[in-house]
Amino acid sequence: MKFHSRTGWRKWINLLNLAVVIIVLFVMLPIYWLVASSFKTPVNVGAQPPQYFPNPISFANYNSAFVHYGFGRYFLNSVIVTVASTMLVLSIGSLAGYALGRLPMRGKSPLLVTLLIISVFPEIAVVSPLYLLMHQIGWLGSYEALIVPYTAFNLPFAIWIMRNYFLGIPREMEETGRIDGASPLRTYWSIILPQSLPGIFTAGVFTFTACWTEFLMALTLDNSNNYRTIPVGIALFGSPNVVPYGTIFAASVVAVVPIGILVFVFRKFVVSGLTSGAVKG
Amino acid sequence: MAVVAEVAPVVANTRNRNGRRDVHTSRQARIGWMFSTPALIFVGMVTIFPIVFSVALSLSNVSVTGSGFALQGFTFSNYSQLVHSSTWRYALGFTVIYTVVTVLVELVLGTAIALALERLTKGRGLMMALLLLPWSIITVISAELWQYIYEGTYGVLQAIFQALGLGAPVFLGSPTSAVVSMMVADVWKTTPFVAVIVIAGLVMLPGDVYEAAACDGASAWTIFWKITLPLLRPTIAIAVLFRILQAFGVFDLPFVLTGGGPGTATTSLAILSYKVMFQNIDYGPGAAVAVSATLLVVLGCLAFLRVFKAQVGREEIQ
Repeated sequence: MKFHSRTGWRKWINLLNLAVVIIVLFVMLPIYWLVASSFKTPVNVGAQPPQYFPNPISFANYNSAFVHYGFGRYFLNSVIVTVASTMLVLSIGSLAGYALGRLPMRGKSPLLVTLLIISVFPEIAVVSPLYLLMHQIGWLGSYEALIVPYTAFNLPFAIWIMRNYFLGIPREMEETGRIDGASPLRTYWSIILPQSLPGIFTAGVFTFTACWTEFLMALTLDNSNNYRTIPVGIALFGSPNVVPYGTIFAASVVAVVPIGILVFVFRKFVVSGLTSGAVKG
Repeated sequence: MAVVAEVAPVVANTRNRNGRRDVHTSRQARIGWMFSTPALIFVGMVTIFPIVFSVALSLSNVSVTGSGFALQGFTFSNYSQLVHSSTWRYALGFTVIYTVVTVLVELVLGTAIALALERLTKGRGLMMALLLLPWSIITVISAELWQYIYEGTYGVLQAIFQALGLGAPVFLGSPTSAVVSMMVADVWKTTPFVAVIVIAGLVMLPGDVYEAAACDGASAWTIFWKITLPLLRPTIAIAVLFRILQAFGVFDLPFVLTGGGPGTATTSLAILSYKVMFQNIDYGPGAAVAVSATLLVVLGCLAFLRVFKAQVGREEIQ
């Protein structure tokens, strides 16, 4: 809302600041609690009353996460699965997005609508058939058991986002390429792609975040210790009777850092991706 | 997710191009199919095929054998079993209530936060980044964090309630409070996400309408109800659709926070389906639960879009 009257501005600004502070506190306090608890000694994590500031500051939980619980392995698995899926989604998806956005194919609107419908299906509907299929072909407990479904599930949304950007590129640019005798692949690579980097970033951030945080498929398809990703690893830390919160939070802080940096750096693209449907057209 | 806005322009576009199809066009079309084939194969194999397979499982007697499983015969028994099972009916009721309550609360709070933050002249980018932080946190982590906050003996919320003289509340221990506690954890993680969508929508609104309203002496309240909210409808539709789909399939949060308990208090349809399939190894009924959830959420979204379109008309959405 834009207010152009100047009366009462000062008062508004103070109230506004108050609102902002409350919002930030509500959002940030639990995150503070996560970070602070990860630096408590394992005994102090369960202190009663709780320690509001870690004293002494201890790295024992980090040590336990990496040395005793093998968190490094889970982190590596997450990186491999997430990076591979994101690369696949961006390369395959941008080609399809270009074709569906710019090339004169018959029946592409039913195709696009089908993609949209698929992208909204709950994961639970496909997990058991995928499990049975992968059991048959012996993929359970492998990187491809996650990379292939992650790629497939993130493709529809990525194709939509990138297609929206391809639609916005002036046709003349393609025509120049064609007149110069460039092949379609060449036109796509050297004319279309550089123009649509924002769309590719947006699709990339969304795919990366979705793969990094995915739990249900990782839990069912890759439950062996060697291929566990971060979410599954963290969920299965400890035994049914003992929940090692300190270790869990230390691992969580390490897991939040890459995604936090990514979202912070690319926040403009995240926002534009979230609203591309609402503001376009 | 461009559900509302993008479908119509596509149709118009193809029609124009199909007006004149020549050699060049059909060559271009062939290239188009070549470019899209890899994506279509991936999506088809990993999503459409399993969905069809899921429906088949739900309509058969599935027996687990030594080497795998076997489908025998066509039957509706998995579904009739569902309808007669109080567990399924409870899970359905819980999932619907959880979806409706969290989406409503998040929408109201998210809009309020967005209205407050949109007036910020400085530091809006930073605020957006902070708001996106809970969204980017792995749900399993936020579930573990809230479990620790709610913990019955040394949890921080327990200490805060006692310091304020509010007695010793139960958070995850009783059915009703567990449901509420789970909703609070969800609201924390997702309200900022809704707020970010609404802020982005607010920024796009035309300024001149507001100047006119201010000249006419409209109050802030009137401006909000008569101008801002109607103009925001497309943005809100996107946010609500996103949220309905996520909330209806909720799995990670109850799986870690409460394990679906106490009892079955926080067992959503997804949790129920997972338990039936992977703990009871009962694929037919498990698939029936999953298919029923999928059908319901797709129908729910279609109904929402229908009501929404009936209210505002197609032109405004686009």
